[in-house]
Amino acid sequence: MHPFEYAAPETLDQALGLLGEHGDEAKVLAGGQSLIPILHYRLARPRVVIDINGLLLGDIVVENGRLGVGALVRYHQLEESDVIARRCPVLGEAARLIGNVRVRTLGTVGGSLAHADPAAELPAVMTALDARLAVASPSGRRTVAAREFFTGPLTTMLTADEIVTGVEMDAVSSYGWAVEELSRRAGDFAVVAVVALVSLDRRGRVDDARVAFGGVADRPVWARAVEDALRGREPTADALAHAAQTARDALEPPSDAFVSGAYRCHVAGVLCRRALARAVARALGRT
Amino acid sequence: MIARLVLNGRPREVEVRTNQTLLELLRDTLGIFDVKEGCDEGVCGVCTVLLDGRPVSSCLVLAAALRGRAVVTLRGLERNGGLHPLQEAFVRHGAVQCGFCTPGMLLTTLAFLEREPRPDREAIRAALEGNLCRCTGYTKIVDAVEAYVRGELGHD
Amino acid sequence: MTDAVATRDALRVVGQPVVRHDARDKVVAATAYAADWALPGMLHAAVLRSPYPSARIVRLETKRATAMAGVAVVLTAKDVPRNTLATDVPGQTTAVGPLRATLHVLAEDRVRHQGEPVALVAAETLELARDAVEAIEVEYEVTPGVFTPEAALAPGAPPVHGTGNLLAQWRIARGDVAKALAGANVVVEGEYTTQLVDAAYLEPESGVAWIDSDGVITIRLSTQVIEHFRDVAEVLQVPQNRVRVIGTYLGGGFGGKEDVTVEAYLGLLTLKTGRPVKMVWTRQESLLSRAKRHPYRLRYRTGANAHGEIVAQQIELLADAGAYAYLSALVLLYSTVTAAGPYRVPAVEVDARVAYTNNTPTSAMRGFGAMQTVFAYESQLDRVARALGMDPVAVRRVNALRRGDTLPVGQVIETHVAIPELCERAWAALGPPTASRAPHIKVGRGLACNFQPYGRIVWLHDWASAWVGFEMDGSLVVRCGCPDVGGGQASSLCQIAAEVLGVTLTRISVHVSDSALTPLAGTTTASRQLYMSGNAVLKTARELRAGLLRVAAAMLGGDADDLDMDEDRVVTRDGRTLAIAGLLAECARVGVPRSHLGVYHAPAGEPVDLATGSGKVFPDYTFGAHAAEVEVDTETGVVRVLGYAAAHDVGRAINPQSVEGQIQGGAVQGLGYGLMEEVVVENGINLTTSFATYLIPTAADVPDVRAVVVESGEGLGPFNARGIGEPPIGPPAAAIANAIEDATGARITRLPITAERVARALGLLD
Repeated sequence: MHPFEYAAPETLDQALGLLGEHGDEAKVLAGGQSLIPILHYRLARPRVVIDINGLLLGDIVVENGRLGVGALVRYHQLEESDVIARRCPVLGEAARLIGNVRVRTLGTVGGSLAHADPAAELPAVMTALDARLAVASPSGRRTVAAREFFTGPLTTMLTADEIVTGVEMDAVSSYGWAVEELSRRAGDFAVVAVVALVSLDRRGRVDDARVAFGGVADRPVWARAVEDALRGREPTADALAHAAQTARDALEPPSDAFVSGAYRCHVAGVLCRRALARAVARALGRT
Repeated sequence: MIARLVLNGRPREVEVRTNQTLLELLRDTLGIFDVKEGCDEGVCGVCTVLLDGRPVSSCLVLAAALRGRAVVTLRGLERNGGLHPLQEAFVRHGAVQCGFCTPGMLLTTLAFLEREPRPDREAIRAALEGNLCRCTGYTKIVDAVEAYVRGELGHD
Repeated sequence: MTDAVATRDALRVVGQPVVRHDARDKVVAATAYAADWALPGMLHAAVLRSPYPSARIVRLETKRATAMAGVAVVLTAKDVPRNTLATDVPGQTTAVGPLRATLHVLAEDRVRHQGEPVALVAAETLELARDAVEAIEVEYEVTPGVFTPEAALAPGAPPVHGTGNLLAQWRIARGDVAKALAGANVVVEGEYTTQLVDAAYLEPESGVAWIDSDGVITIRLSTQVIEHFRDVAEVLQVPQNRVRVIGTYLGGGFGGKEDVTVEAYLGLLTLKTGRPVKMVWTRQESLLSRAKRHPYRLRYRTGANAHGEIVAQQIELLADAGAYAYLSALVLLYSTVTAAGPYRVPAVEVDARVAYTNNTPTSAMRGFGAMQTVFAYESQLDRVARALGMDPVAVRRVNALRRGDTLPVGQVIETHVAIPELCERAWAALGPPTASRAPHIKVGRGLACNFQPYGRIVWLHDWASAWVGFEMDGSLVVRCGCPDVGGGQASSLCQIAAEVLGVTLTRISVHVSDSALTPLAGTTTASRQLYMSGNAVLKTARELRAGLLRVAAAMLGGDADDLDMDEDRVVTRDGRTLAIAGLLAECARVGVPRSHLGVYHAPAGEPVDLATGSGKVFPDYTFGAHAAEVEVDTETGVVRVLGYAAAHDVGRAINPQSVEGQIQGGAVQGLGYGLMEEVVVENGINLTTSFATYLIPTAADVPDVRAVVVESGEGLGPFNARGIGEPPIGPPAAAIANAIEDATGARITRLPITAERVARALGLLD
């Protein structure tokens, strides 16, 4: 890789100061699982690499029914955290599917969201959860809805001087959840991923549903029509199949050298139905 | 600049370039060939080291970013100059052919067994999913790990 | 050389699953692979490669690059003393007719494939070398290219080279195929397509070269062929005895390191700079530009009678050589000879062609043309069986070759053919059928056989030499030019020597793979090394033993024939012993050599015109049968292999553990080929230059492979062994395809069998 200046700020303000100074001539280093290969291939030539691993952004906190996950929380922590297992287990299920064990040691939540791979699991999960990303820049702080954050392939609303500091979502412990994924090979990134969360009311009807897809477009897709099709309904096999069909009808996945759009579309429908079925089963207390 | 790490139990400070990876530090600067270079993008696993006890791709870690953390490579497993029982199991069960994947397989296995000491064959395979092997077809690697787990070579 | 078949009990070391000496080194990373080598003053090399599949080089300017600080030299075609590399049959000193192939070391005025090397740089660091590569100015004029063999052979196609695009053609015709097909009870027609794949060894192409203190250009690299020292000498225009190739223990070869890879570049750079030079290809570079396995289109018409006996095969093969010939003509020959499978076929026509295109060049890879045909002939046979309601084992039993039968090329099978037994045992090894775990999951089983030549074509008059010698203390040294690709090649030589000379295995040291210091033994390819080097060591050790025992007989009284060598001693029938050191001291005193250099010559034959003649092509074949159990998710097309068994007749297993390891490893490579591997090249542009997109099986993708080892005792190798390096890679793709049809009724005829292809075949996307 090309040479660069290396900076290791110790506080968020220091990091933001560096970003403000260097803007798009800087790259932020968190887990490095996406950035370092880019540097190896010489696809990017930053003047400065800002290593943010010294910042205190690694907390997992529950407050007022909201779960906050710091940007530097590693994928393996999502798998192993008791708090997440109790309050938002879909994060653990998604994390287990990410890459290989080495990626999960170092890869970070913030890194995944900022990198915005259209086939990645966490952007899809955050979209399903209607999470809000906390973003910091030298000029201030803001939050952005996950459902608006991803704007294209490997593209987000982040400006050159912003970093993700964390993400916040409802602690959806009463929801059933499921992540279904199809990949070309074990451990490979997803061809199609579906994230589904379902809560049921006392009568066993769908109270709330949150569904999103990865790998079917240039960004995660919030399956709003699926959610609307399910709310208030009894989650019968037919209802779930109908909801999945609704999803499928709304998608126009792209083709690439390995997988056609038509196949992605078909699989999205199948996995959606399966994810909903498992989420419902979990919601009913049966796994 | 100076990279700080604890390498196989010994604190080290090494002059490195900013763009030097841990893999390059180990091989090019320190002459430690326990780690291999296979793909430069963290997929194949032949560059695996343990960082604070967990497997990472050393080709994706900047040496400058180590901040004094503990790095273990294969020679960190040596026991009184002899083989670690897992290494012995690999040798006895024919789990080594060309040997290029072997250091990564060993380290990943040991880190996994710390967390899950009694896995079945399917769990062993899932744990080793990130370490590619092109020669053995994996069966004898799983045999070796299983034998080690069953304590056939008297590990602790 | 075949031996009288010794019973298992009479062998002491051969046949034992001994621990390989290299395994102990590898498990502590003590083995120095080619890239684990540094010398003072060493430079680092990088290659500039063409981004275009077909172009003229209009301008090539290296001044800027040469002027950069830390850059030692930048080389282009004009700097290469002889810019021609012969790429045909490696290790042979005779050219063989239409098989002669050449290419440039560095491109001259044209590039013919993406990734073709254009310039070389050596610099103080790898990063500087890569910077310099980027600073070389090249102007290309893109020219029309061809990207399929069909397009290449169509009238008016742009020629890849000066001549037409048909590189080679082989034909076989025997019997009246048209008549036989007309009279057949069932005729199955099929077109099968196999894909471009990469060897994907974990160790990339790597080496270090330097000029030693005697002025010998020394290249230490990962290679399957140390005889390439001759090719490097030609390129450098230096005498052949001034180039030395040291072959390291490879981190995998699989045929991908059979051609010249880094040697010529390293030789050039070290000669020009006078300094040591290191070159290690990146994975991307290797996936982009290293020669690959030939993709094939295979068209078969198979006729059978009511009993399931094949009456005719009409076969048409079309392969893609890519931009340079390399070993394509030879690969095609293997396909032609094996196209009808290990079966009796009274009437057969094979028309095989390979064409140049502007795609990545294709060359040797494990199976070498005899692999692609398995997918076709085993799919066809399965379909014949289905049409007649026969089970897969029965149809193979009925058709299997037997001793005395003739191959389509006219070669008589001289050994027992274990196909029926292998089928039964592989099938049985799957155990009781697995029940489907859900209504949308279908489970099925498939069988596939193959036969793979081992040993070189007999017209090439193959030979191998070895040196075996005692030190005064009774420890033994074996020297043999045999590269070790990881399959235990070196270790097997020790086992053989130990068996013959009664030396404790741990008292043997072996030196392999050095063109200056070890007697040449030819390539580690073609499943020939155990056969050739093994026989060379066997013969050499026996000749040495004979000389030593004559001295021992004089010392002990009696006949040399009554003496044995065991446990580092000579032993008489009546139990007297003589320590080996004592014998060796006496040999020294009377002037009898304690070492021997021997040569093994494989039985040779004269070239056969495949079209008109008939005769022996390969010395022998290894037969196999694999059985697979799969589950198919009929909603998504995803296929999971639940169980797998691979049975081969290995003649004799010198080291049973190594044999099982080869079978299991080859089978999993075959499963990768069948299910997920593909180098995607579109209009000459490679889209899979990463291990993230070129997928090989992980431990989670494949089940345990049950290796079933059958020992008929009829191989031509030492102790009647057969080659086992390549055979196991052949059957898996067909076994999977057959299992999928069993499960779902859908027949997949294109590789790899992706979930999408299965989904389409199941009509899910209609």
